[in-house]
Amino acid sequence: MGDEVKPTKVIDARGSFCPGPLMEMIKAYKQGKIGDVISIYSTDSGTKKDAPEWIKKSGNELIGVYDRQGYYEIVMKKIR
Amino acid sequence: MPTNLKTVVIIGDGAAGTIMANKLRFHSDPSEIRIVVIGNSSRHYFKPDGVHIPFGFRDYRNSVKPSAALFNYGVEYLRDTVSGINLDDGSVTTVSGKTIEYDYLVIATGDRFTTGDLPGYDQEAFHFYSLEGALKLKDRLKDFKGGRIVIGQASIPIQCPPAPYEFTFQLDQFLRLKGIRERTEIHYVYPLNRVFTIQNVAAYIEGLFEEKGIIVHKMFNVDTIDSGSKRINSIEGESLPYDLLILVPPHRGQELLTKAGMADESGYVDVDRSHLNYGSYDNVFVVGDATNLPISKAGATAHFESEYLANRISSEVNGNAFFESYNGEVACTTITGPNEGITLFFSYTKPPRANFQSKSDYFLKWTSSDTYFSAMIRGIM
Ligand SMILES: Cc1cc2nc3c(=O)[nH]c(=O)nc-3n(C[C@H](O)[C@H](O)[C@H](O)COP(=O)(O)OP(=O)(O)OC[C@H]3O[C@@H](n4cnc5c(N)ncnc54)[C@H](O)[C@@H]3O)c2cc1C
Repeated sequence: MGDEVKPTKVIDARGSFCPGPLMEMIKAYKQGKIGDVISIYSTDSGTKKDAPEWIKKSGNELIGVYDRQGYYEIVMKKIR
Repeated sequence: MPTNLKTVVIIGDGAAGTIMANKLRFHSDPSEIRIVVIGNSSRHYFKPDGVHIPFGFRDYRNSVKPSAALFNYGVEYLRDTVSGINLDDGSVTTVSGKTIEYDYLVIATGDRFTTGDLPGYDQEAFHFYSLEGALKLKDRLKDFKGGRIVIGQASIPIQCPPAPYEFTFQLDQFLRLKGIRERTEIHYVYPLNRVFTIQNVAAYIEGLFEEKGIIVHKMFNVDTIDSGSKRINSIEGESLPYDLLILVPPHRGQELLTKAGMADESGYVDVDRSHLNYGSYDNVFVVGDATNLPISKAGATAHFESEYLANRISSEVNGNAFFESYNGEVACTTITGPNEGITLFFSYTKPPRANFQSKSDYFLKWTSSDTYFSAMIRGIM
């Protein structure tokens, strides 16, 4: 997680395969409110590409994609 | 009754429950294993024919058989609804008040359509995912004179992920035969940044869509349906007008499994991906669409899972060594155009290849209800 931003919701989708992690993220987005910071952990390499593309297309903010030990963390902010 | 007789209770009389029961009967002796299937459907519908029935390409009466007639000799079939699962006692209870004890439990309850999850769905959308849905859509298509058709799926996961694109190819063909293809726009919406979950298959299908003039809208996660203005809107902010909306309904697993504490509100059960057992129970298994496994919810999946599980249970009861595991095998054939089809084979470790269409795949799919009812459902294949 980026040091300065604390996530409102963390989804641990490690072990789940495409499109599971992205769908979990979209679900959390739907249930969340403007300003929420959503972080997702994924071991599926596809998520690293798919999630940022979705965040951009949906008009939200990508805070970062981080390589953690053995998994990725993708952090977004809900702005619409 | 011999004391070493083991009872295997199977909940569900769809593809997975029926194939599982019939395969296990082939693999085991009735003096060693008693098989009881509890299911609540009077007829067994071959769902893959939903991509033909709305167009009149196939008579629906060939796609249904009485459920009770599909079990092999030596399988006990109880028409009832399971209302509770008691994992600690090793028993299930039914709506009619029975309590049935098991040594092994196989859950094969499939999933259900939760159209209430998407307001406006019931008033506006058509689909081909059940026999009723396919026949209703057939009626609607009879009067269709051209316009804008939007096709897609309300959510992920759904049964048979390739079915929406297969249906779209059939629709394209139907409109051409009817002579109204030029007067019709087909818009295909999909939740991901491609038209199918698996990258290489998606690229292949997208090429075929382009050839056929099917317009694609990627990353379209259905948010709302506005029946007044006849528009479907995505979470991503896109809005599409339609004259005819064909949308695979939202799916969830059965409430029974949520109530039993085996699943969250999605209703799908997490199982061991190599052994199909639930949690720490080595005598409770889930097969077919009811699992949360990261593979297609398909009859073919149920078939491969049942092959593994029937072997495992019969070996265990007989005291034979058994070292195999389920490797996520799925095979899936879809029609892609007149006289053309493709088959995808894949497993947990092998991604599918989709590099050619063939006439033989087309015929394989076209005749699949016959193969299914005469051999596959009986556990012969
Ligand atoms: C349009 C379409 C096209 C498809 N095409 C293909 C294809 O080409 N190839 C392929 O392999 N698959 C295909 N499929 C998918 C395939 O049909 C399903 O994956 C398969 O039917 C799953 O079988 P199942 O037994 O798990 O679930 P189901 O067939 O849904 O059966 C579940 C059964 O459990 C019963 N049940 C549920 N709850 C209870 C309870 N509490 N008590 C008692 N009984 C209960 C239900 O009545 C039902 O009979 C397609 C599906 C659709 C909709």
